[in-house]
Amino acid sequence: MSTSVLSGVAPAPAAARIRPRKRLRNKRAIAILILPFGLLFAAFYLVPVIYAVIQSLQVIRREGTFGVPHLEFGGLSQYFLVFQDGEFWSSILRVLAFGVVQVPIMLGLALLFALLLDSPLVKGKKFFRLAFFAPYAVPGVIAAIMWGYLYSPSLSPFSFVTSQVNLLDGGTVLWAIANVVTWVYVGYNMLIIYSALLAIPGELYEAARLDGASQMRIAWSIKIPLVMPAIVLTAVFSVIGTLQLITEPQVFKQFTSSITSTFTPNLLVYTTAAVPNLNLAAAFSVVLAIATFILSFAVLRLTQRRAAL
Amino acid sequence: MALKYIRVAAVATAAMLALAGCSAGGSSDSSSAAASDCAASTGKVDLSFTTWVPGMDKVVDIWNKANPNIQVTVSTVPNGNSGTYQNFFTQLKAGNAPDIGQVEYDTLPAFRVQDGLANIAACDGVQAAKADFSDGLWNQVTFGEDNSVYAIPQDSGPMALYYRKDLFEKNNIPVPTTWDEYAADAVKIKALGAQITNFPKGDVNWFAGLVSQAGGQWFSTADGSWNVNLTSDASTKVANYWQGLLDKQLVSTIPGFTDQWNNAYDTGADWTWVSAVWGANTISSGAPSTSGDWAVAPMPQWGTSAATSGAWGGSSSVVFKGSKHPAEAAKFLLWLNTSTEALTALNTEANLFPASSTGATLPALSEGVPFYGNQKIYQLFSDQAKVISPFTWGPTMTQTYSDVSDGFAAAIGGSGTLLDALNSGQTKTIAALKAQSIPVK
Repeated sequence: MSTSVLSGVAPAPAAARIRPRKRLRNKRAIAILILPFGLLFAAFYLVPVIYAVIQSLQVIRREGTFGVPHLEFGGLSQYFLVFQDGEFWSSILRVLAFGVVQVPIMLGLALLFALLLDSPLVKGKKFFRLAFFAPYAVPGVIAAIMWGYLYSPSLSPFSFVTSQVNLLDGGTVLWAIANVVTWVYVGYNMLIIYSALLAIPGELYEAARLDGASQMRIAWSIKIPLVMPAIVLTAVFSVIGTLQLITEPQVFKQFTSSITSTFTPNLLVYTTAAVPNLNLAAAFSVVLAIATFILSFAVLRLTQRRAAL
Repeated sequence: MALKYIRVAAVATAAMLALAGCSAGGSSDSSSAAASDCAASTGKVDLSFTTWVPGMDKVVDIWNKANPNIQVTVSTVPNGNSGTYQNFFTQLKAGNAPDIGQVEYDTLPAFRVQDGLANIAACDGVQAAKADFSDGLWNQVTFGEDNSVYAIPQDSGPMALYYRKDLFEKNNIPVPTTWDEYAADAVKIKALGAQITNFPKGDVNWFAGLVSQAGGQWFSTADGSWNVNLTSDASTKVANYWQGLLDKQLVSTIPGFTDQWNNAYDTGADWTWVSAVWGANTISSGAPSTSGDWAVAPMPQWGTSAATSGAWGGSSSVVFKGSKHPAEAAKFLLWLNTSTEALTALNTEANLFPASSTGATLPALSEGVPFYGNQKIYQLFSDQAKVISPFTWGPTMTQTYSDVSDGFAAAIGGSGTLLDALNSGQTKTIAALKAQSIPVK
């Protein structure tokens, strides 16, 4: 990315004479091309974010038991409530524990499958590529419902297992959800890593083979280091996805009593908005967004520094 | 580059101003506490009506044919606590709520606190409708205030005991008339490899019905302020009772109204359900293979004093604030909820148990129901409706339900008890009222 920007800038002084007109023409083209994105970005991203921030800075005032509510500027008072809310932080800890276990397993499997698909020894690549990717084509809610039935003690076709081991009680339900998320997203992440593998020039393999490297060695010393940026990308996506977990726990409420209304941060936001306490829900959302930003940025920095070594 | 930032800033500022305008408009004082005038509109009026009563469109068709100048359009949605209340609140905030909506009695205070309900007391015939309803129900829609009517009662949910008559008879177990007998039967049924009932952590309104039967209250208002008490003696008694059943694993703990739960009734894994009159439909559709095996008895009692029952659910119809045609909406609601024509249709289409006394005399309600061995169950429910202990609902029931339910989930999982759940529900409800700036003691 950065090199292409530089090379685009470099020849500019030579073309200084025709620059003004060209820039003007480009500007119009850029404006036209950016407009659709800009409008949608503003309508569905900027404005809602700004609205949420405004909401989060307001408090409700009223007189008497059934007084008419008024919104007033309340400064950061909603944010004080957020930081005092033990359930918000325990839900964040819960999804972090989830992420620490689930993300490495999912990305490890995705990398393994991508390497297998890329290996010259494997037959039926097209079939396996599609088979690994197929679960991602199942909508999240449908996947969660399907697994819910598979886990259910009384309705599962594997009830000889599920009636003995309750996969949905308080201690195990988080990991039952982790399994669903892994099942859905392994194929998706595998495809990102696999396409990065395809972009590796063949000469590198040729050279490695001439040096007598085995397939294992090629995978370890050439493929994995070169697809590291793709793995970092999938890691950042997964961290964001983990913090935003809502579909699977929401659906699993149908199957188990152990999912509370504050199980994940997003469920808590949803529950708070249902009260309706929109101002506090907005403050939760803003804090969650900032936490997500910080965490994904931290993952990026950490992994990039390691990748640079 | 600088230009780009200025543009972004301009867009952002414009958006903020626009939004600030919105919120200022939304929060402006548009109501006066007294009954506002209720002038009729001229010309043809279109009303939107959002409800989750199945078959309501067919009932409304009858009205639309007879009233070409007041046309009602029905939207059928999931039930209130499954997302519709949340949609109503959002629509009210956005200023585009439907004219008429369905709201259960327990959520009326929440809508009033959000300033979402139009006071239709001044509309033609509304005050006179009082005679058609029991004092308890009328009190729910007027909040006990003069010159205030915020809803017309539609159906009510008197509770009773549904039980598997065939299994009780086959195993020589007497049908319980007291809660002590119910617990004793639970042990016998457990010994037979089944369970007497299910404890649904999510149905806190069901639990509130049990508390009201025991004579408890969770909310009251005095001197312009709310009083929250989820752990009165009656509540504690009910909580400890069910905790005892849970501790001995005498009841199942499946989430209510799910496939697993239907399956438990359909396969005879659960034998009884203390539920409201509308539950008759829930069982017959969820457990079709048990047709003819069920019967209904009054709720088990706590003592030997006069028999009492509780209520679970039951809906009213409200005119939302912002409706341009409250007079026409009120006229339609009076027809819908008090006329023999509409109540008969509602009973045929949706098996609705009418709240009005006109409805209580419907012929359909004095017939035997085949699923319940031709027992005249609606007569029993009519009798139970007369002994319901009144219950006052708080202004943030959605929140109270979800917090108590979370506590119930923990208790089912073995950490804490049902009483702990009520305790923390109380603390959180008080916090939620304070967050809404509602005076609370």
